[in-house]
Amino acid sequence: MSVISRSTLARAALGPLAAAALIAVLNSGAIPPYQAYSVGLAAVYTVLVLSVGLLAGWAGIWSIAHPAFFALGAYFAAYGSGHGWSVEAVVLGAVGCSAALGAFLGSAGARFSMLYVALLTLAFTMVSLEVMGQWTSVTGGDQGIPLTKLHSALGLGTLASAGTEAQYIAVGVAGIALAVAALARPGALRMRLVAAKSHPMAARSIGIAPEAQSALAFAVSAVFAALAGVLLALVVGFVSPEPFSLTLAISLIAACVLGGAGTLLGAVVGGAYLTWVPTAAESAGLPQPILQGVVLIAALLFLPGGVVPTAGRLARRLRRRPTRPTPTAVELTADAVEPVPAPAATAPELLRLDDVAVTFGGLKALEGASMSVRTGETVAIIGPNGAGKTTLLNALSGLVAEGRVAGGADYHGKPLLKTRATARRRLGIGRTFQHAETFPELTVLENVLCTRRRITAEHRAAATELLEGVGLAHVADRYPAELPFGLHKRLDLARALAEEPELLILDEPFGGLDATERTLLARQIVRQQERGTAVVIIDHVLDDLFAVAHRVVAFDFGRPIGEGEPGKILDDPRVRSSYLGEGSTRDDLPPRDGTERATVRLDGVGHSYSGVTALHDVDLTVPQGSVIGVVGANGAGKSTLGRILHGTLPPTLGRRTAADGLRSALVPEGRALFKTLSLRENLEVAAYAADIKGAELRARLAQTVEWLPPRLRERMGVPAAGLSGGEQQILAIARALMARPDLIIVDEPALGLSPAMVDEVYARLGRLAHEGLTVVLLEQSLGRAAAACHEVVVLHEGGIAVRGEPADPVFLDRAEQAYFDGQDDASAPVAQA
Amino acid sequence: MDQLLLVLVSGLASGAVYGLMGLGLVIIYRATDVVNFALASLATIGLYAALALYDSGLPLLLAAVAAIVVTTAVGLAARETVIRPLAQGELLSALVMTMGLSLIAESVISTIWDDRPRLFPSLVEGSVAIGSSAIPAQSLLTLAVAAVAMALVAYLFGRTTIGSAMRAVAESAETARILGLGSQRIARIAWALGLGLAVLAAVLYAPRAGLVPTVLSAPLFRAFAGIFLGGLTSMYGAVIGGLTVGVLDNLAASYVSAGYRDTFVFSFTILVLLIRPQGLFGVRTFQRV
Repeated sequence: MSVISRSTLARAALGPLAAAALIAVLNSGAIPPYQAYSVGLAAVYTVLVLSVGLLAGWAGIWSIAHPAFFALGAYFAAYGSGHGWSVEAVVLGAVGCSAALGAFLGSAGARFSMLYVALLTLAFTMVSLEVMGQWTSVTGGDQGIPLTKLHSALGLGTLASAGTEAQYIAVGVAGIALAVAALARPGALRMRLVAAKSHPMAARSIGIAPEAQSALAFAVSAVFAALAGVLLALVVGFVSPEPFSLTLAISLIAACVLGGAGTLLGAVVGGAYLTWVPTAAESAGLPQPILQGVVLIAALLFLPGGVVPTAGRLARRLRRRPTRPTPTAVELTADAVEPVPAPAATAPELLRLDDVAVTFGGLKALEGASMSVRTGETVAIIGPNGAGKTTLLNALSGLVAEGRVAGGADYHGKPLLKTRATARRRLGIGRTFQHAETFPELTVLENVLCTRRRITAEHRAAATELLEGVGLAHVADRYPAELPFGLHKRLDLARALAEEPELLILDEPFGGLDATERTLLARQIVRQQERGTAVVIIDHVLDDLFAVAHRVVAFDFGRPIGEGEPGKILDDPRVRSSYLGEGSTRDDLPPRDGTERATVRLDGVGHSYSGVTALHDVDLTVPQGSVIGVVGANGAGKSTLGRILHGTLPPTLGRRTAADGLRSALVPEGRALFKTLSLRENLEVAAYAADIKGAELRARLAQTVEWLPPRLRERMGVPAAGLSGGEQQILAIARALMARPDLIIVDEPALGLSPAMVDEVYARLGRLAHEGLTVVLLEQSLGRAAAACHEVVVLHEGGIAVRGEPADPVFLDRAEQAYFDGQDDASAPVAQA
Repeated sequence: MDQLLLVLVSGLASGAVYGLMGLGLVIIYRATDVVNFALASLATIGLYAALALYDSGLPLLLAAVAAIVVTTAVGLAARETVIRPLAQGELLSALVMTMGLSLIAESVISTIWDDRPRLFPSLVEGSVAIGSSAIPAQSLLTLAVAAVAMALVAYLFGRTTIGSAMRAVAESAETARILGLGSQRIARIAWALGLGLAVLAAVLYAPRAGLVPTVLSAPLFRAFAGIFLGGLTSMYGAVIGGLTVGVLDNLAASYVSAGYRDTFVFSFTILVLLIRPQGLFGVRTFQRV
């Protein structure tokens, strides 16, 4: 049962075949000796560029250390030839040393970001240069040492340097190196490297440890570089520190960028470039570094990705015209979905959480989370934004990064929280991500296959079957970027299902999907229920959630507040009010007489982010001096609408008309203060951004400081990070006021605040309205918005479901209904906003 | 003891040069996400221009000012033409781009002038006797000028609105955009400031080292070591990291082995980073690789 496909073998054979042909040409004497020497050198550089380029393209590590490994191989060969070592000993020694050093650099580098890896590898090259210059007894210092010949311990004869024989060997080894890389390309190693590079978190969720991958990749790459060094010594016959300078490191990066990092043909292009750039510069009448610099800059500006990938794209575009229509999958009829009945109460418990808590710094994102999940059971977790739902999922899959996790979790009798994130996949836990975090550089099929350490034919068959099951078989060879969002989410699900998990964790799987897609997804979930898989889902689309769930757990403020059957959970007043807010007494609002002019008007506005519709068909007028509430669950499109009203986000559809000279200010969700800046500096920067300077700035600052509560006024010099959430919210509003806005848009001001603080923030916003400011409030809580606004607009899945004046009690009932299901069942026409 | 004092003072003077260059790198990096590898060769262009003006009769002080003007002008022009077209957040492309710029700048210098080492005049001569040791006046001047420049930078960032705006952009470009803060203007100011500091460092360093097209590459690498030691985004870290590298470098050269000074400095830096990956003053944010 062969794992390697015939096309791979054919491609792998190309390298050695080309090498053999080249050797034949060299042997025929058709090429003059100097050119033959250049061909040998080009072969050496091809191996070197291959080692740097594949490390960069596959593992995402840009190394400046490769001149040092190149040197290591060369000096091993030269020193060995002077001390009677055999070829085999030289190769083994160079391979061993470079693999060990490379693994060290790779594992140390995995702890750091790209820039730190650059410094680490730069340091390695600097140190190696000093060693080459100083350790004269071995390296011969600046004078260098010659390599005359190497004998074979296996009795294969003696190898003379600096001759045709050495050139043939260099060309042959380059062919073999290309073949090895071609064989590795469709393999699990490359897929897992690419996966770890492009999305470390998603990679961990499928059991790939980025640290181990990067150590392995660096070790292999270092070995190739060292072998290239041995070849260099053979071809040139002499080794001195000069070729191994930092300039070589830059040239290597240039060669990779030019040819295309991660492509095999690109390495050949890069190797040829390095060999012939001196000749080219000479014939162009330019100094060599200038030519190299210009080529490098031009490649980055005009050929992002390199020559070979750009040519490939062009060729594909030519070949694909007329564009192949996206084949459609066999669409299943969108009947209602019936969940499998809940497992009996006696079904074994798969997962039990005891008092799990997660803290980030001083912030408690989750506390007192206790719950259990039985085999075959589907548990939905609901709650407003900031309730701790995603934190809970991340704690289950071990992806809380900087957070501290406390409490206990028992999974199949094993302590789950003490298990490494990468080991949880093996325990049978699969998860999806809110934004469908697929690996962009792998095809759809590879995205699923990379969950395996070694890929067998059975794995391939299983993956194909899985893709068929979720309706992706028709795009198996496409890349995720070519897929619409719905298929993207299917792929995320397929990857989670690839090893038939016992516990499936779904993070907002319904979000952003259309009705058909949602039904198909529900069917997938039911299919898992039939298999006996336990499922934990969070989502904001409650209808879909309730259609598949056996049990619902509600969270608010980081802790569970209620539990029940899907149909009944919203009858729990605590759960209901966590979404809608307490209905408080109506604030005193400035009177309106209906003749106010519009500050901003939206006509037929819609917006989508790379194909995902966030907002559609919104008509909205914001009259001067009004307080308008935009209410909706998380993901309903509030923030998008806010940014469009503000004017910083141009809508993809429809028109925004603003009054002449309108100054609008936005207080973003989560405050977005400059935490390292003091309170005063936060205010000053906002004025500076609005072009308010000098005496005017000082006057405006004094006025705004006056507006602040005394406990903030006394602390103008401390960094904003030191404020409590509520104080930060007030400062964020004050910062928006610095620009003298006519319209202020406040996104979720109550998020994460205590009830008393919420009241204070709202009271302040109300007073602003009395001073003549127009206010738009983006709110999750219908109750709060109803108490504070002249007019309320309920958003549901990106569209306006209902609008009206909260003074009308009939309207409030309708709004409450629309908040959860988007339906407005009142037949009476609503007053237009 | 006297020997040690001399080594320490000259170490601090070298460190002040690395610190100034590091400060320039950090200011540019924080405001624009560009690790400016071309900082050294752009400053070297300024040095050669200054030397040419000095040779034609301009006073040295004015020539130094001219160096700042020339480097800043060339640097800003290069940024507008090749760095700005890159998409935001293209950390690697921007770094490689500045490597290309650096190759070109160095080669242009050796084409216009040549590779022969030249003397670069120093503002002061002689030495100052402290106890029984004679400290070179140039070292003391370097320390004094660097201290003044760093104090001015601290004032700019800590006490002025434009400084606050630069820190705001560094902290969150996204929020700055919502407020309407023009990030291109801030980016230009940051580049000008960073390049200016590098030229200052270069003018102080060149008299000791002699002028060749690659005169600043060794200080650039040590400044890199310094800013990584200091935490990459911290301006205090850049200065203290630079001073640490300078002192270590001179101690290693005098007491360990003159040939292995980089080995010593870089091994120390890497060891510190392995123990404390965020550097001495950095914030733990870059861990998500």
